[in-house]
Amino acid sequence: MPPLLVTGYSMLSGLGRGRERHREQLAAGRSGLGACPIALDFETAVGAVRDELPELPAHLQPWSTRLARMSYALLQDLDEPLRRAREKWRPERIAVLLGTSTAGAETTEVAYRQFVAGGAFPRDYDFQRQHTFGAVLSVVRELSGADGPSWMASTACTSSGKTFATAQRLLAADVIDAAIVGGLDTLCTMTLTGFHSLQALDDKPCRPFRANRGGISIGEGGAFALVERDGEARVLVEGIGETSDAYHISAPHPEGRGAEAAMRQALASAGRQPADVDHINAHGTGTRLNDIAEAKAIQRCFGTEVPCVSTKAYTGHTLGAAAAIEMAFAALAIEEGFLPPAIGDGPIDPEIEVNIPTEKTTGTFDRVLSNSFAFGGNNVSLLVAKA
Amino acid sequence: MSARVAITGLGLYLDGFPSAAAWRERAPQREGEPQKPKGLAYDRVNRRRASQMGRALGDAVHEAMQRADVDPVTTPVIVGSSIGEASAMIGLLDQMWREQEPMSPAVFTVSVHNAASGLMSISMKNKGFTTSIAADYDTPAATLLEGIGLLATGQLAVVCACADEASPKSLLEHAPHWDLLAGAVVLRRVPAKNALAHLSVAAPGGEAGRPAADPIPPADIPAALDHNPQAGLFDLIDAVLRGDRGSLRLDRGKGRGYRAELS
Repeated sequence: MPPLLVTGYSMLSGLGRGRERHREQLAAGRSGLGACPIALDFETAVGAVRDELPELPAHLQPWSTRLARMSYALLQDLDEPLRRAREKWRPERIAVLLGTSTAGAETTEVAYRQFVAGGAFPRDYDFQRQHTFGAVLSVVRELSGADGPSWMASTACTSSGKTFATAQRLLAADVIDAAIVGGLDTLCTMTLTGFHSLQALDDKPCRPFRANRGGISIGEGGAFALVERDGEARVLVEGIGETSDAYHISAPHPEGRGAEAAMRQALASAGRQPADVDHINAHGTGTRLNDIAEAKAIQRCFGTEVPCVSTKAYTGHTLGAAAAIEMAFAALAIEEGFLPPAIGDGPIDPEIEVNIPTEKTTGTFDRVLSNSFAFGGNNVSLLVAKA
Repeated sequence: MSARVAITGLGLYLDGFPSAAAWRERAPQREGEPQKPKGLAYDRVNRRRASQMGRALGDAVHEAMQRADVDPVTTPVIVGSSIGEASAMIGLLDQMWREQEPMSPAVFTVSVHNAASGLMSISMKNKGFTTSIAADYDTPAATLLEGIGLLATGQLAVVCACADEASPKSLLEHAPHWDLLAGAVVLRRVPAKNALAHLSVAAPGGEAGRPAADPIPPADIPAALDHNPQAGLFDLIDAVLRGDRGSLRLDRGKGRGYRAELS
């Protein structure tokens, strides 16, 4: 398949809003993890979006949720390429393909808590406009002017990675000419409590690949990318791998077999060799199982030289948004010529034999592989390349 | 209008009719037969973990795959659902705030939207492509378009399955209620042996806004299913079973207006 042309991208996370802010924070090795704004009965650090989010226009007020306002911020920051795309393509040929894990759960859980306490939902709560996967799609279509096929991928932590593959297929099938792809997720009590129940949360900021790592830090945010049939690309998505572990609903295959297959598929679909990859943005959640399994898979595919960084130490694990945010970080590495240092306390786990650079690395990075793995045993690898 | 593909298998689960074959014959389950979906696409362990909706999906997928004679180990499965595992989410919220109990990690892991597709891939030992998507009342159209995209880029056959559990009454207090429904179709690249029908998906307002073929009326559906977001897939399956050809709305007038053109 032809590579996917990424003509613009925007991002929002615990590091801040916008490409430039992320570049600064990553270059400085500054984490966005901090205190959790949600009251919990356990300790954990999170990557909360602390920027003011724009309020939706008046006619979209019934749809206004934190998730929808995040989508508005991401669209505002994609305004220029979107304007060009609208001039070039018919609205019904511009798709909206997004990924999320939680959709409007953050709004529903607040409303449901009030329902449990007082027997009634808040007057302005509307399940269909504020909770469903389709709700934010309506908002994005309305605000972007895109009127093509639109759906939400929800495959937990690979959700937004899936959207790049879908766009590539719909372009190949001549169903669309362009697409807004990516994803977004918000912090919510249910997710934090769920990962805590699995004993998968670190009580300190997460430390991927470190010997003393204690689990995940959850984050929120999103990234959107505009992909087009032709145009001036900032970067390319050259290859994509999508596989399943067929092993366990929430644990990775201990040898990382499904992850390895996704990485190899991404390379094969681009006609590239492992030696063509200059950097890997690892899934790197910071759990003992994930980091070991992923490192084994990377080592089998690429050996031990290619620098691997998990940017979840900066943003936390943004779940359904993670693949899109990390694709944007891959694009930053290519465009700006640096890799952020792998931050976090403690020595690198001696069981992990891949190259984890703890200092900022500068140079030329022509190809970056970005990994995302999920509940359900779902794996996505995106091979991002210089345009 | 999308490319034309073949439909080679169908599966269905609705209350009283546990398969497309039973629906075609209007042969409801007899009293004394189990009234709950069996989850035939899952192995024993994962069947227990699957929700009621997941099991209904499992029955529909199993029937469609058997009819189409496709390999469960290698055939991609796309699962579409508007509200997904909403009852699992409500259960977790109740655990947190009504019962004030510790959250069940087992329930949490199957509260994700892709629980059914994940459990199916584990049960079928399918290490290839799976996904789970959602688009409210356009979910059937989205699922079919995702399948058509996969066929256009190298897959020989795909399973497009859609389901929604009964609407959560507490969250949809003032909206029309619907019951559980699951359906599945197997799509294959043309030419295909044993095609039951050929399908294209037309965008809303596409081709000057006119259907390319005569309209097919929606199925004579049980009233409790009319508002199920997957009723459009039911209409498609029913039309194929009846041998209808023409243009069919995939959203019962409740979505953006995607149509199936059956030939």
